[in-house]
Amino acid sequence: MNAIEIEGLSYSIGNKEVLKDINLTLQEGRFLGIVGPNGGGKTTLLKIILGILKPSTGTVRIKGDSPINAIKKGLMGYLPQALRIDLNFPATSINVVLTGLYGEIGYMRFPSRPHYEMAMEALRTMGMEELAFEIFGNLSAGQQQRVLAARALVGHPEILILDEPSTGIDVVGQEDFYHLLKRLQKRLNLTIIMVSHDIGALTGYVDEMACLNRTLHYHGSPVHALTEDVLSRLYGRKVDIMLHSDACEKCARLKRE
Amino acid sequence: MFEALSYGFVQRALIGGGLLALFSGIISVFVVLRRISFLGSGIAHAAFGGVAIGFISGINPLLSAILYSLLISYGIEAVSTRGRIAEDTAIGIFFTASMALGIVLIGISRKYNVDLFGYLFGSILAITHEEALIGSVVIIFLIILIILISKELYLITFNEELAFVSGIKIRLIKSVFFISMAVAIVLGIKLVGIILISALLVIPGATAHLLTKRIVRMIILSCVIALASVTGGIFLSFYFNLPTGGTISLLLAVFFFMAFLLQRLLRDGN
Ligand SMILES: Nc1ncnc2c1ncn2[C@@H]1O[C@H](COP(=O)(O)OP(=O)(O)O)[C@@H](O)[C@H]1O
Ligand SMILES: [Mg+2]
Repeated sequence: MNAIEIEGLSYSIGNKEVLKDINLTLQEGRFLGIVGPNGGGKTTLLKIILGILKPSTGTVRIKGDSPINAIKKGLMGYLPQALRIDLNFPATSINVVLTGLYGEIGYMRFPSRPHYEMAMEALRTMGMEELAFEIFGNLSAGQQQRVLAARALVGHPEILILDEPSTGIDVVGQEDFYHLLKRLQKRLNLTIIMVSHDIGALTGYVDEMACLNRTLHYHGSPVHALTEDVLSRLYGRKVDIMLHSDACEKCARLKRE
Repeated sequence: MFEALSYGFVQRALIGGGLLALFSGIISVFVVLRRISFLGSGIAHAAFGGVAIGFISGINPLLSAILYSLLISYGIEAVSTRGRIAEDTAIGIFFTASMALGIVLIGISRKYNVDLFGYLFGSILAITHEEALIGSVVIIFLIILIILISKELYLITFNEELAFVSGIKIRLIKSVFFISMAVAIVLGIKLVGIILISALLVIPGATAHLLTKRIVRMIILSCVIALASVTGGIFLSFYFNLPTGGTISLLLAVFFFMAFLLQRLLRDGN
């Protein structure tokens, strides 16, 4: 079954067309990476899939249903890009993870023992168990991302949507994180959509790659996304510098293979 | 202490004021975390227009103030979300326009009386049996309501998009919160008056936030601080013949500065 079907989607703000003619189908249990330049519309596309934004034209189906219904069924877990949260917000890690269960707990009810256990389990999966009772604002950027990933996972979603989850995480931590996602994907048959800046690192983990800059320039196997043709359409001339810099040594290596 | 308690009007003030303190203690936490204290004080000043309409038309001024405040909160929301006007601008316009409407209406009616003074500076020691009874029932209902939606309110305050993806009806929860806040504000006018309402709406939560970063503790502390200030203010004003609203607000400010110093000392200590 298809986890996600997007047809003829476009999205405009005022008279600015942010997304145009997007068609995208993703099967259940697949790991999709989305790359593209800043301002290319990646976050906007994720928010439309989640139902936070309404498309100007076109349709989005999540397991055959509308995003709003998918949310009601708790099908999707979301890790947003930069959460602008006050460092002094009164929340511990486990409080944050528990909020991921609020929909499931329902109105006029409060978290109980089993919910705390589920939250603890999600933190353990992310290697954050020891910081469960630490104030969220006191954590490092990487630790916050892991807590938010635990939050996205705690309700056992079928589709996990991550917007640049590796921002602020060092390279080693980042690879660990991708490994972890890969394992979860296999173990739980999760469908994962992840936006990332780092094409090189992404290539080794995802099943499919989509290149987005206002419209989809490529969707298919990750290795072929790294052709100069695709990349230069996506990023313009700057791609040359990127491909040959140390930062993207891995892209070059993958390209040669 | 015991002498004061033998007076019916002191008893009524303590019960009504105490319940209202608990309610504003809870509301205050969310006002502070959502950073909407300007909206709160805007609604209080706008309520003055509602009070004046009540005076002129013969409706109970508190009732007309509640209805008018709800209308104004809705107006602020509508103008700032649909138009291209920033929320603080919308608040500034509605609040001064309503205050001005109140001043003009009262000028026309030529009823400059003590009551008016009571709305500006509070008159908790003058509440009637009927007001105390109705007020208490309303506040108890609202306290229960706000506790029942506190979980959703907390998540919306943390992040609205995450709340949305968790399937929470954001508009519904926010409406319930804003209505509760408007009612708390208008009833709070009885306690400390329009001019000082921000003290009740902001200081308990802000003081609690200085002392803890755990949400449940923060709400409890906020309620304790509000309760201590309100009951303390009622007693002090009774014995020393001070204006009650001013005394309550001053006590709140004293708590805030004590917490501020305490927090500085604790932080410098380690
Ligand atoms: N609220 C907004 N108002 C106006 N323009 C916006 C808004 N949000 C996003 N945009 C524009 O939409 C485009 C796509 O943004 P975004 O989806 O955040 O891109 P990405 O995540 O790929 O960096 C950008 O050009 C941005 O300027
Ligand atoms: Mg983005």
